[in-house]
Amino acid sequence: MMPGSLRAACVAVLRRDLLLAWRRRGDIALPVLYALIVTTLFPFALGPNDDLLARVAGGVVLVTVLLAMLLAFDALFRPDLEDGSLEQLMLAPQPLALLLGMKILAHWVSTALPLIVIAPILASMLHLPAHANAVLVLALLVATPLLSLLGSVLVALTAGTRRSGMLLALMLLPLCVPVVIFAAGAVSAAQEGLPWIAPIAWLGAALALMLILAPLACAAALRIAIDA
Amino acid sequence: MTAENSPSALLAARDLTFLRQDEPVFGPLDFALRAGEVVLVEGDNGSGKTTLMRVVVGLLHADEGTLYLDGAPLDRDLARGRLLFLAHHLGLKADLSPLENLRIAIGLYGCREAITPQQALHTVGLQGYEHEPVRQLSAGQKKRSALARLLLVPADIWLLDEPFANLDREGIALVNRLIERHVAEGGAAMVTSHGAVTFLHGEPRRLRLSA
Repeated sequence: MMPGSLRAACVAVLRRDLLLAWRRRGDIALPVLYALIVTTLFPFALGPNDDLLARVAGGVVLVTVLLAMLLAFDALFRPDLEDGSLEQLMLAPQPLALLLGMKILAHWVSTALPLIVIAPILASMLHLPAHANAVLVLALLVATPLLSLLGSVLVALTAGTRRSGMLLALMLLPLCVPVVIFAAGAVSAAQEGLPWIAPIAWLGAALALMLILAPLACAAALRIAIDA
Repeated sequence: MTAENSPSALLAARDLTFLRQDEPVFGPLDFALRAGEVVLVEGDNGSGKTTLMRVVVGLLHADEGTLYLDGAPLDRDLARGRLLFLAHHLGLKADLSPLENLRIAIGLYGCREAITPQQALHTVGLQGYEHEPVRQLSAGQKKRSALARLLLVPADIWLLDEPFANLDREGIALVNRLIERHVAEGGAAMVTSHGAVTFLHGEPRRLRLSA
């Protein structure tokens, strides 16, 4: 009797969630459309002043991506909690934290990655210069997994409560402040021709920390949610 | 019932109690499940059958009492691959096909030798539905595709919560066949039933829960 190996289990969970995301690809398009529409509103609200738009472009795209990600968080654990497949994950011989890590990865690929792909287009719409655009993409590549991990902990904590969407937003947004500061700092430094690597490195350090802590915290929180 | 934690018992419990807001849901409860044996957990609605299953499998924490696996106090990390829990929520993804759902289960729990997911689906009577999304199957067919997990996953202790619910006569016979074969191979099963009708074949040992 051989229990499933660690690698087979990780691949199974990752494959499952990506396949599910693909089956409901309409849901993937929603945050992307949301980000597109929100960004389009800014030139209307602020007026067609290229310099002004270029100055706010980095921050606008960052905050828009953050809010768009927030829309998709509710689907991270809730469906699994409702149909009993989370219990099956918990009862599997592999460490739950690792399997949840795979779920978070799949969620990041299906929600944040499409947003990162359109982010340069959104930023160009707001006249962000090309070199700053590259830094923006880099900042997003580090900041969005960090947001996914932070969000996953809060989703796990609120999983047992009903109507947790707004509560989740209220809890997550304060935690996002440092992420936004560092990511936007890197983009504006690049715009002014200053070195921009330090804020990205800070984000990277936080990401490394959360990569370890967040899945463990999620596992503990979901076990409590199931136990209640 | 004698020697609740005798070494011959695969799974045993002593003074197992579960409280909800300081009110006992069940217990203190003693039972033993030996290899080659079926225990039928009976009780009215709300008597704590599902709760007992969830405590045994480790989703809920018992407030008092001890569980034993192979005569030694149960270590969850060692026990995980050996228990198989079929719950009310079947743990099937509605957007995936029965075959894809089984592949996930295999990835997590491993697979018995000499059987493939296709054969398992054939055995439970889902040939022709392997690639249909589970959401388009009937309740009974969903149950059957969850039952296919029993054939594939190499766990020796089955915990089946109302396995006969939603099944037709043929499905009930199927569950009985699966249990009989599992028990004949040295496995053990714990089956809940609300007691009105029991479809389980043979003379299982009974564990009665009262509300």
